[in-house]
Amino acid sequence: MKWIPQDVETYSNAKEYVDTAVVPLYSVTIGGGIKQSAAAAEFITLLTNYLERQFTGRILLFPPFTYLEKEHGEKTLMDLQNWEVNMFDAGFQHVFYLTSDMEWRSKEDQLKGALIWLPSIPLDEMTDSQKLTMVDNQGKQLLTLFTHKWRNNE
Amino acid sequence: MSKDRVSRRQFLSYTLTGVGGFMAAGILMPMVRFAVDPVLKAEAAGDFVATKQKVADLTNEPVRVDFTYKQKDAWYESDVTESAWVYKDDGGKIVALSPVCKHLGCTVNWGSDKEHPDQFFCPCHYGRYTKDGTNVPGTPPLAPLDVYPYKEKDGYLYLGKAKPRKEA
Repeated sequence: MKWIPQDVETYSNAKEYVDTAVVPLYSVTIGGGIKQSAAAAEFITLLTNYLERQFTGRILLFPPFTYLEKEHGEKTLMDLQNWEVNMFDAGFQHVFYLTSDMEWRSKEDQLKGALIWLPSIPLDEMTDSQKLTMVDNQGKQLLTLFTHKWRNNE
Repeated sequence: MSKDRVSRRQFLSYTLTGVGGFMAAGILMPMVRFAVDPVLKAEAAGDFVATKQKVADLTNEPVRVDFTYKQKDAWYESDVTESAWVYKDDGGKIVALSPVCKHLGCTVNWGSDKEHPDQFFCPCHYGRYTKDGTNVPGTPPLAPLDVYPYKEKDGYLYLGKAKPRKEA
């Protein structure tokens, strides 16, 4: 389910079925590296949308958690931990983060949710159909990650 | 001069009627055209989208067929990719099923559940459908999968808008 009123309403009515939260983590750079920052965001957006399409009924796709790259530190971590607490309190059993920001990997153990780090692939040179195939291939591998986690918790 | 002379009065009234009628027609014709336009359009367009799937290549094993069409979301027009599970039934008739689970909208896959290789399976809440799209009782979905109307044109498969079926 997406972060839009209709879907969120469905979520409210079917909370017992929607037990997984997906949060994209966007690192924003202003100035040098702005393009890579945007490319990474596009990549993560396409992937999370793909996931949402496959698992609409069990996933709530949150709006991206966005922070300035140069400010990425203790405070950012605390903010995300705060999101996490709220999501688990709201009844989500699983929380997944998708990002292509390396920084998070060293902080993975301080998060309760599962961090999925993917190196960003620049998509701007690709045609639409190439993008589709690429996201399809990458996404498929993520799907098994999700189903695996679900199975293990039952 | 003939017997039935056209009087000045008659001549003027004929001319006025003629010109007036012409003007009225000029005004009314586009209005009528606008009014009936939706009717004509629905007939002509028929919302079928081309796929890359050749009809001749279809077997009785469901295959995923992706197709893309333009969707207008407020003022933003985007390409939407949808999929269908397509196969030929025992009678050789094409069946195109929507992959959207009737429970909460996940994407169902063919034969991805090891215990039921000949059924559609929803990975989210383990809903199952038989090959013809009927929901298996006891699993979360409460209705059969939607069906796409289809067309064959130049050997390729064209799909319309998925329609729900009656409850099983």
